[in-house]
Amino acid sequence: MSKIAEPWVRRLLGLMAAFSVAVTVLMFGFMVTLGLPLITEGTFFNMFTGPWQPGQGAYGIAPMIVGTAVIAGLGMAVSFPVSLGCAALISVLGRGWLPILLHRLVRFMTGIPTVVYGFAGIFLLVPLVREWAGRGSGLCILSAGLLLAVLIAPTMILFFTDSFATVPRSYLQAADALGASPVQKLIHVFIPCAWPGLVNGVVLAMGRAVGDTLIALMIAGNATAMPGALTEPARTLTAHIALVVAADFDSLEFRTLFACGIILYLCTTLMVVLTRGIGALRERRP
Amino acid sequence: MSQRNRWFDWAMALVILVATGFSPAMADDLAPFAGQAGRVAISGGTAHIPVMKEAAKQIMQRYPDIQVTVAGGGSGVGIKQVGEGLVEIGNSGRKPTDEEIAKYGLTMFKWAVDGVGVVVNPKNPVTELTKAQTKAIFAGQIGNWKALGGPDKTINLYTRDEASGTRAVFWKKAIEKGAISSSANVVVSNGAMKSAVAGDPYGIGYVSVGHIDASVTPVALDGVTPTLETVKSGAYPVSRGLYSNTKGEPTGLTRIFIDFLFSPTGQAIAAEKGFVAVK
Amino acid sequence: MTRRLVETGVTIMAWLCGALLTTSVAGLLGYVIVNGAGSLSASLFFGDTAPMDALLLRRQVFDGIFPAMVGTLVLVGLSIIIAVPVGVGAGIYMAEFAGRRIKGIFGLFFDILAGIPSVLVGLFGFSLAVFLHHRLSDRITPCLLISALSLAFLVLPYLIRTTQTALEALPRQIRITAPALGASRLQTLFYVLLPQSLSGIVSGIILSIGRCAEDTAVIMLTGVVATAGIPTSLLANYEALPFFIYTISAQYADQAELMRGYGAAIVLLAICAALFTLAAAIRHRLADHLLYGTR
Repeated sequence: MSKIAEPWVRRLLGLMAAFSVAVTVLMFGFMVTLGLPLITEGTFFNMFTGPWQPGQGAYGIAPMIVGTAVIAGLGMAVSFPVSLGCAALISVLGRGWLPILLHRLVRFMTGIPTVVYGFAGIFLLVPLVREWAGRGSGLCILSAGLLLAVLIAPTMILFFTDSFATVPRSYLQAADALGASPVQKLIHVFIPCAWPGLVNGVVLAMGRAVGDTLIALMIAGNATAMPGALTEPARTLTAHIALVVAADFDSLEFRTLFACGIILYLCTTLMVVLTRGIGALRERRP
Repeated sequence: MSQRNRWFDWAMALVILVATGFSPAMADDLAPFAGQAGRVAISGGTAHIPVMKEAAKQIMQRYPDIQVTVAGGGSGVGIKQVGEGLVEIGNSGRKPTDEEIAKYGLTMFKWAVDGVGVVVNPKNPVTELTKAQTKAIFAGQIGNWKALGGPDKTINLYTRDEASGTRAVFWKKAIEKGAISSSANVVVSNGAMKSAVAGDPYGIGYVSVGHIDASVTPVALDGVTPTLETVKSGAYPVSRGLYSNTKGEPTGLTRIFIDFLFSPTGQAIAAEKGFVAVK
Repeated sequence: MTRRLVETGVTIMAWLCGALLTTSVAGLLGYVIVNGAGSLSASLFFGDTAPMDALLLRRQVFDGIFPAMVGTLVLVGLSIIIAVPVGVGAGIYMAEFAGRRIKGIFGLFFDILAGIPSVLVGLFGFSLAVFLHHRLSDRITPCLLISALSLAFLVLPYLIRTTQTALEALPRQIRITAPALGASRLQTLFYVLLPQSLSGIVSGIILSIGRCAEDTAVIMLTGVVATAGIPTSLLANYEALPFFIYTISAQYADQAELMRGYGAAIVLLAICAALFTLAAAIRHRLADHLLYGTR
């Protein structure tokens, strides 16, 4: 009985896996197919140079690309040192129950709804930034970047602490025997040994920063101008998709969304390939 | 008819009057929905939303078998979605263009008149602007409130996205097709515009006159303050109709809903939400 | 001397980082909770409708978050019903049946799927709805079903990964004992391997529920609306808690509505925290950040 069933179960499960792969491919296929008229109508390259003025038939998404890069970059720049510090505290430097509590908090943070961060951001962070900056509305790159830093911190911290945990005990014992202090162990043993995991965490956090929609949509102001300062509003590719999606779906305006989509999709793929490369590198090491 | 029956009729009439808050006209306006079931999906113009929500509330609370769903998106979205058959009613805060009407076979129902007014935060001392100043502000040429007699603070512009009918009307009638700076913050609805300006002491934006309340200050344009009265009298020039559009002639529940908007109750809701009723 | 300075400096910096993160999170959440605590009452949920009437679906609720909560519940339930068989099935296939090459290639696709920004999943769902509307039936529009399907796609890779990881983490002895006693491959799978890895799989499912419940970007593109009442059909628009919070934050009409926003934020936070705690309690030491790669 079971012998007859096995190939069928196997096929059914395989079908489910294949279906999941098909969804991934289909998503890309949809975007390419629907975005194709852009290329045939010859407006593809204008998208990367001109401004976004749909009224005048200009569908430039360059400001959104820059907006995405700047907001995600700021989030990373703030979040990386803090995350590294927290991870070091949890894994190496901290003593007592505080670091354990911090670790729990970080795990819990992965479950906090993004929209709640955004909600708190609008009513707490935005007025603070407005008063502090003295200009602008507070809905700006700075506010969005700071909030994003909080959002992506757990991704990095958990990856960092996990890779610190994989450092061979013998290395640490050797360092102890040489009389190394915790800070020396961190700098000379943990970080050099765990760097592929650290890079992995950074790449994944970057992916999350680029892919987040809600923080930018709620906090960054969504202006279509090329951002010039941290206190100016900007629009990310993801927020742009959310804002324009309801537009006329025959129009070129709507088609450009798929160009945004393709860029984001390729970004994701690049990051996945990158992390896999790092993974392979780690496996090859003794 | 016997005496007794007549007393019964009077008593019933009284009960109905009491139950509906002593407004005989309102008693029957919801009656056409009786026995109906199904859905009306509405999307588009965001100025319309308070009226649509209130209408939905009255209908759905009395007739649970009817579902009225209300979404925003902006006028362009409403016109497009009703044209594509994604919703039954597509609202717009501007008149659909001839091209749109022809392409989708739209039937328009203008059930209220509204204006589009410039608003600032109540803390802002600037409450009057000329048309030229307004144009310069939204084009980004005047960047500081000081130039307008306000505090020495940068002006934070708020605008709507391209799908907005409010933006289209403001652009055409208030700033005479002048530029709107691309550095302006973009908000997604009239409600969001009001909240944004209410929360930003140095902000300026434009919003449906029906949405103006104590949380924002309307700015007089060339000496005329945008209010329900000035829009009604025609003294305030930046006015527009609020339209509900259907693909072809509406039928069934959609027809009843449109009729409801034009009924005394529907028109009373429109007036209560700050618009000029058409009947 | 310099060494001591570096020692102390690095240690102080690390503690400062910990303090900074803790205060940021506590500040943000505390702000919402402190400001919203006053709004937690029956009227937050049911408005002016009697709670019993609302719960028995006798009367529609307006000015309360009950319809949004029911919408979220139905949405999450549907997504999970769609996603779990496919995700767990694919995960079992990856762990137990896939060959090395298939595993590598499929794994790459699942990683990409996990990394795709949620708004793209929403865009896909929206395009799919419009496509089906034109090609298949007029009745298909962005709706509850389309949203549930899109959310299912969103959590699919998490489910696959947690199932696969939970199975692969089983010790070798367990894997070889049953066959040695004469059990077939399927018997081993269903009577030994799956029960053993159940806690890992279930905690993955629970975290996926949390992920569906909190998502906003996908649903705002695929049919969630501001006013819909209790969902009546899979092909209709609906309300949902996270979208309600998002909408209120942008366009609250008055103080009362803003307070409902705070209340809804607390409720959503509580739901997600409860799901998270539940998952953590039954988790078999599964790294949770594997589930939360990208949003």
